[in-house]
Amino acid sequence: MTATLPTVLEEILGEIAATCGEASQVPDELLLALKFIFGPSAVQALDLVDRRSVTRISSPSGRTVYQVRGSSGKAYVCFASCHYCSCPAFAFSVLRKSDSLLCKHLLATYLSLAMGLCQDLSMSNEQLSGLLLAEEDQEQV
Amino acid sequence: MEALQRLLSLGAEVDGEGCAAGEGSGLLLRGEPGSGKTALLFAVALVAAGEGRGPVLFVARRALQSLPPVWKAGAARDPLRLQKIHFLYPPSLRELLQLLSSMHERAAQPPSLLLLDGIDEYLAETSGAQACAHLAALLVDTAAHFSGCSGSGCGLLVTMQGPAEAELEAAALQLAVLQRYLPTCLWLEPEPPDLAGAWPQHSEQCFRARLSSGPGFPKQEWCLSFGHDGEMAISQVSRQPSQHPPQKAESSSPS
Repeated sequence: MTATLPTVLEEILGEIAATCGEASQVPDELLLALKFIFGPSAVQALDLVDRRSVTRISSPSGRTVYQVRGSSGKAYVCFASCHYCSCPAFAFSVLRKSDSLLCKHLLATYLSLAMGLCQDLSMSNEQLSGLLLAEEDQEQV
Repeated sequence: MEALQRLLSLGAEVDGEGCAAGEGSGLLLRGEPGSGKTALLFAVALVAAGEGRGPVLFVARRALQSLPPVWKAGAARDPLRLQKIHFLYPPSLRELLQLLSSMHERAAQPPSLLLLDGIDEYLAETSGAQACAHLAALLVDTAAHFSGCSGSGCGLLVTMQGPAEAELEAAALQLAVLQRYLPTCLWLEPEPPDLAGAWPQHSEQCFRARLSSGPGFPKQEWCLSFGHDGEMAISQVSRQPSQHPPQKAESSSPS
């Protein structure tokens, strides 16, 4: 991930990565900090991490994208290099209202990466192109 | 920013310092019609094509309407350079998104530069913030992917025609979304004739370029000129209130 994150989140993610190496246990004070910064979406994001909902998808071309299966079962696409998620909350709260930093799917992606809890999946170049492109179609399903 | 750095390496002989800008490889070029956006983009394409790295992808809705001034320069007549500039003309937003999504499938050699001329023409098809974010994020992500492939970076340059103040709410929102992904903006405007006359070269067209990358970042300014022979000259403008009245500089600065 090369996307620039707010410094405070960088710090928390760094601490999580440092502390929960094997135990997969995030210390309470970091959980509180996450909740303080992100409000209710922190809990939802941690729930997504617990369910192992984040999948890192890569193809032979080397292109990588993250797919997060939301609580309703819908899959959303999150980009690796910049803040982008195909979910409606990202469009509304982050882009339109600018009142949150990230949606729960993006937060879950960063947390899963820090904790080493991403699932890995390979697919063909063409399939990955479809994922990059076809967000609108997925939402209608 | 590498694209601009590369561009300004031309002017570096004059100026020695080049451009030290912030992180990120994307740059948004904004200006009114006729402010030299496409001319600059084409000049950048030629410079990058002459560097012995990957090809340059030049994406626009339609083919160049007129030959850019730099066309008359010797570099533009070099067939080896022209061969490295690949022109792509997706006719709709949908096809542009398809092109970007599938670009990683067939790039035999990772491009060194990704150029999109006239993103406003594609965004006019939609009023949604999501579609705008999708396009901008795909551009950034594609350039980041190619940077990872080549190890030497893939620049991203996007031009947008636009007034300083967007009148419509939807357009203002789209611009705000675009600036999330491309926070560094180079604002172009034609140089007024009285100031252009002050430049010693036999210049045909002069443009003023102002770089801004959010608050706190020192603004930089250059003068670009295209001579009768098509050669582009760049020089850094030192802020001298006597020469450049401050109200002129502020009236059109991007908000």
